[in-house]
Amino acid sequence: MRNHPSRRTFVGGSLAFAFGGSSLLAPLAAHAQVDRAAQKKQMAEPVDTAKFKKAGPYTIGVAAGYMSNSWVVFCLQHVRWEASLHKDVKDVIVTDAAFNPGKQVADIEDLIAKNVSMIIYWPVDEKAIQPALEKAIAKGIPTINAGGGFTYSPGTTSNAFIDQYVLGEMVAQHFMTDLGGKGKVFAMLPIAGTTAAVDQLAALKDVLKKHPGVELLSAEHGDWNRAKAKQISENLLQRYPKIDGVYSPAGQMSMGVVEAFEEAGRAKSLVMSPGDEYNGWMKWVVKNQKGGAVTFPTRAGQEATKLGLKILAGEPVPRGLVIPSEYIAPKDAAKFAEMNKPDDWWASKLPEQFKPK
Amino acid sequence: MASRLATQALRELVSRWAILGALALLYLAAAILSPDAFLEPAYVGNVLRQAAPVAIAAIGTTLVMILGGVDLSIGAIISLSAVFCAVQMGGDAANVGPALAATLLLAAGLGAVNGMLNIASPGSSFILTLGSALAFYGLTQLYSGGTARGIVAPGFREFFNQRLGDVLPVLALAMLLIAAAMELVLRTTRFGRQIYLIGSNREAARLAGLPVGGVTFACYVISGLFAGLGGIAVLARSGVSSTFTGRGFEFDALAAIVLGGTVFSGGRGTIVGTVAGTLVLFIAFNLVNILGFNYNLQLVLKGAIIILASAAYAWLGRER
Repeated sequence: MRNHPSRRTFVGGSLAFAFGGSSLLAPLAAHAQVDRAAQKKQMAEPVDTAKFKKAGPYTIGVAAGYMSNSWVVFCLQHVRWEASLHKDVKDVIVTDAAFNPGKQVADIEDLIAKNVSMIIYWPVDEKAIQPALEKAIAKGIPTINAGGGFTYSPGTTSNAFIDQYVLGEMVAQHFMTDLGGKGKVFAMLPIAGTTAAVDQLAALKDVLKKHPGVELLSAEHGDWNRAKAKQISENLLQRYPKIDGVYSPAGQMSMGVVEAFEEAGRAKSLVMSPGDEYNGWMKWVVKNQKGGAVTFPTRAGQEATKLGLKILAGEPVPRGLVIPSEYIAPKDAAKFAEMNKPDDWWASKLPEQFKPK
Repeated sequence: MASRLATQALRELVSRWAILGALALLYLAAAILSPDAFLEPAYVGNVLRQAAPVAIAAIGTTLVMILGGVDLSIGAIISLSAVFCAVQMGGDAANVGPALAATLLLAAGLGAVNGMLNIASPGSSFILTLGSALAFYGLTQLYSGGTARGIVAPGFREFFNQRLGDVLPVLALAMLLIAAAMELVLRTTRFGRQIYLIGSNREAARLAGLPVGGVTFACYVISGLFAGLGGIAVLARSGVSSTFTGRGFEFDALAAIVLGGTVFSGGRGTIVGTVAGTLVLFIAFNLVNILGFNYNLQLVLKGAIIILASAAYAWLGRER
């Protein structure tokens, strides 16, 4: 999951976070680029929903790998919103593993003991929780991965997820158009080795093959951290006298990037790729009328809830449901940006009462 | 005998000021390898500003280390302070003063908690402040609900990022002034001397009637306060995009403090050394980045610098 800090933070209970931060943890989240054709086939596979079919009222269990990140906070609020629209959903029970895979296993077991009707989860370590998820399925409780990378294993009934490669490709294509097909650029990516970083860079390189006039100077890892993205950009501005554009699909890093260019007096001719619908970035797009966004929808939580309810109703669903990213042109950014809200916020269609307080 | 004493004195002198020599050498190397960057005053201003949040937080923790303790909670206090301060600002310039005051009060309060814990259980600062760090991170999440939900007041970041004479950012100047003031406090005040005495020999200091508890409490309060200033500095430098902004800062700060010649056993250390240690770390990172080496090499370099410095100080400090 792109903005999920499972790829960038490990705090509770672990000393690992203290010794050098996220980079040491990247291997835990490392994924090779997947065989896309095989994945497409797996995604289309139908779920045998008959074994999960049951009548309401329902209790939705959410086993959060962590809650300390604005993207997942919005994702969870989408679960609550969708639940509120169904009379047969009587409760939403949320557990927070605070980045501890062991606790997430225990949380899932607790949710099973509480006899929840379905379990929506986002993982800290997908492999570590699979046996617990399999126990849930054995008890007739479907498990739905919300927003994480597509998982094809016996412990995961279905996935509501965002395709990082497609997102990266959309970002790169709009970036090439804005660049006019030529120039020197660098890429600002998430933590090295994560699905997000690997897929986004692969997509950029594939798109660059069709644009030989664009030179990729360097691919950097800003770890979803605005301050770090700024520091790296400051260094690159010294290293390269000419930088025409920056490929940065994550809005919070884009903000650090543009700030470094602005302070160096080199922002005027800079072409920024689309970021995402991170509010701080959207505000920048509204103000500067460039860049735009390719969304990483927080409504993954809502789609996961809908999937779960369909499974409980015995309706057909696929193993993987892609939540499509959408392009927001700079001229349309004002419709999405919430200028009076914090930067660490996400543009969404959540009703006011469901927005985080 | 005389030559032994002379050697000892020389070692003492070298170990106290070695970091300044190392900083000068590193800067020289950086200037030769990347003259476009490191001979450019505005870029040097950048490096100082990058280092400011860690350096400011490390200044407070240096006092605790001279005292013979350690404060692992400063990363958590930085995180909470940054989020809290932005929430208090609420996007309104009129709130800047009260927000800063409330943030510093909160940070000092958290430092006071550490102080009381360390008075109650002296010698356990590592585990006590590790525990309080986890608690403070938890408080941050409870308070923020998982999003850095504040809005920085207009003008606040612009003020700290503006450059005096197109070179020195205000934030970097603030860091240098704070460092100078604290060095003076350590060198010229009774409180400063008491910290060194207690750090050198806690029991002897107690028997001599020094206010060991009071000084310990004050040092942890100052450490918390400076972590709060560090949080405000992060907010000023780059804004905040998460509730874990200060994560890992405690170890950067500890590395800088040890590089600067402060020892874990207490009784020795300077603020000048700590600031120089921070700059050594940041110049090294920047150099690796500018030269285009792999990011992971930065980690290797960071580890190597810390190990080498620690070994060098151990060698210089050993008795003959």
